[in-house]
Amino acid sequence: MALFQRIAASLLAILAMLYSPGAVADTSAVPTEKTTIEIWWHEYGPFTAYVKELIPAYEKLHPNVTINPTILSSADINQKISVALATGTGPDIMDNDASFYLLYYTKGVLEPLNLDVFGAKSYSDIIAKYTTGGLAAATFAGKVYALPYQGNSMSLFINNKEFAAAGLDPKKDAPKTWNDVIALGPKLKIVQGTRTVQKAFDFPYHSQRWEVQDFQPLTEQFGGKLLSDDGKTAYLNSPEAVKALTLWREVTKAGGDPRTTMNTPSNPNQDFVDGRVAMWITGPWATPQVQQSPVGNDFTVVSLPQVDPAKPHTLVYGWMWGVNNAKPAAEKAAAWDFVRFMLAKPDVWLGKVGFVQPVVGVDQSDVAKKFPYFDVHMKDVATGSWYLSSEFTNEITQALGRAIERVVYDGADPKASLDQAQAEAEKVLKK
Amino acid sequence: MSSAVHAESHTVRRRLRVGLAAKQAMFGYAILFPTIAILCIFRFVPMIQAFIISFSKYDLIHPPQFVGLANFVDLVQDPLFLNSFWVSLIYVVFSVLPVWPLSLALAILFNRRLVFKNVLRSAVFMPVVMPAVVMAVVWTFIYQQDGALNTILGWVGIDPIPWLRSSAFALPAVILIGIWRATPYYMVIFLAGLQAIPAEYYEAAEIDGAGHWSSFWNITLPLLRPTTLLVMVMTVIVAMKVFAVPMIMTGGGPADSTRVLPLFIYQTAFEFFDMGRASAMSVFLFVAVMLFSVAQIRIFTRGEE
Repeated sequence: MALFQRIAASLLAILAMLYSPGAVADTSAVPTEKTTIEIWWHEYGPFTAYVKELIPAYEKLHPNVTINPTILSSADINQKISVALATGTGPDIMDNDASFYLLYYTKGVLEPLNLDVFGAKSYSDIIAKYTTGGLAAATFAGKVYALPYQGNSMSLFINNKEFAAAGLDPKKDAPKTWNDVIALGPKLKIVQGTRTVQKAFDFPYHSQRWEVQDFQPLTEQFGGKLLSDDGKTAYLNSPEAVKALTLWREVTKAGGDPRTTMNTPSNPNQDFVDGRVAMWITGPWATPQVQQSPVGNDFTVVSLPQVDPAKPHTLVYGWMWGVNNAKPAAEKAAAWDFVRFMLAKPDVWLGKVGFVQPVVGVDQSDVAKKFPYFDVHMKDVATGSWYLSSEFTNEITQALGRAIERVVYDGADPKASLDQAQAEAEKVLKK
Repeated sequence: MSSAVHAESHTVRRRLRVGLAAKQAMFGYAILFPTIAILCIFRFVPMIQAFIISFSKYDLIHPPQFVGLANFVDLVQDPLFLNSFWVSLIYVVFSVLPVWPLSLALAILFNRRLVFKNVLRSAVFMPVVMPAVVMAVVWTFIYQQDGALNTILGWVGIDPIPWLRSSAFALPAVILIGIWRATPYYMVIFLAGLQAIPAEYYEAAEIDGAGHWSSFWNITLPLLRPTTLLVMVMTVIVAMKVFAVPMIMTGGGPADSTRVLPLFIYQTAFEFFDMGRASAMSVFLFVAVMLFSVAQIRIFTRGEE
């Protein structure tokens, strides 16, 4: 029976891999003439190492194709690509935060996915290979314009040692609701004199995008949303958003001192890996970093805390590969083919980089089964919606970030602060 | 006859002189040409382009659309822009005013005989040669809760200050770096000014019984007037353009408390993709800097007129 189960699981895994979006290719669609393509991506150690492995492997299969890589900081890759696209110096393959693709689509700079290269008859075939909503941030007017190499959940990481030191069991006492997080605050927070040396919990303040990544699901957990589906109407001061920001303030107060942090855009998880915060919201991609830190394997991951656990809601956040439509046809075909090649093994991505491709069956691989708390991450992905997407995502993110910071740092009233953010967003959306 | 010959030789000599002068001028222009060309291409052309784009709606990807003065009208009604301009003004006032006396005091100190003068001068000058990005990263660590600054403050019983995570302290923290970085640079300029003052003036003053203060007020300061004007104008221009430190250390936050105008211009151009508006802001900044500079020159040279 056990042997049968193992065979069945292996077959399922093989099927899942075959079913992955990049597994089947129509080689006739790939150019045979000498072609050089440029690819730009954002720096993250394991990610860069893996893509650098894939480039020579692809070039070996396609000796006529040369791939030139450029690696940029995640802090400004979106700006650099945007400027490069505008000045005609953009790469063939671009790596952008998912929320950028609506903007690029409206600007008309994206090449739709090449169905021939992927051996697909329609875009529905491609969409069907992804989890529900997995391509939502890159599907416009029925066509797919980008493919995610990561569609991460945001889940709660717990430092087991710090829980144990407070007499808590990370499994049994893990918070399920935000009120649980507040209740754990006094038990986990350590203050020496006037210095907070360990926070129980903290929201991220190193980047406004990260702030909004946590604020969006909180608003949605109250039943609201920050933007309309078409991204043209803002609801930043809705009663649900005000409740979310009020709760945010309470959680922050209970968690510790938000002014004490070592987090930076290049290392958003610094406080957690240094043991400065006992509970921290991040994605599965942080797992290798946590394992290599003093925290080691002594951590637990649970689902994102909820307002009402019966109606869970979280966030999907990720980055995608897109292709520049200003390039010659041969380059565009080769670019899509390399994207296909890169994404062909979601299990290897997970194992080597820690990125979860939101494809059907990714959870069936051996790597997924061995990956710590993969089931939790997938459960959170299943209840998540993508980061807010609009032609003006950056402006709206900043308006919301300022609203949060006014409340947290300056003691502003949540309603007044969100009213101001709404006024700023409305002005931008009228452009 | 002889007068005719004389006149002819005079004409020939004059022609030769004019020819030589023209050749020298041509040579001078030839030497200057690369610099002028580079300035035109990389300074003046972009400035003119920015001025033209400021009258248009331009998202970098589609061709610009002429919108007249709309960008400027919108700017003066935009609280975010006005806040940024205000932050820039505060930065200028509080980062520039201390630099003048500090750099002058240091210059006077280093103009005297000191033990290890060259070593000390190099040490003081270090912030100027350090790249702004490196400096910003180093200061980010210094400003952390457990950083060097809070540790030192702790020794004298002062509680840790959330330098970069507080709307109240973030701008002073950025200003402090501005002062730290600018002071040695202007010290060198003052030092050059001091060394140009003839020692005889001080010797004569000493014979007349003048003390240090009297020499400072009656000799040093008046003779440093041109240098002081240069320093004042330059410090204001440089402070109005500050970008790298707030960009790296705070990104303009918390809650826009450190979003100086150049940073807002950058965000508007390359994060919001609104080049027309960003160009209008740049024109505004240019005019503001020019007005400040002209006002400083006028005030400073009023007595001379």
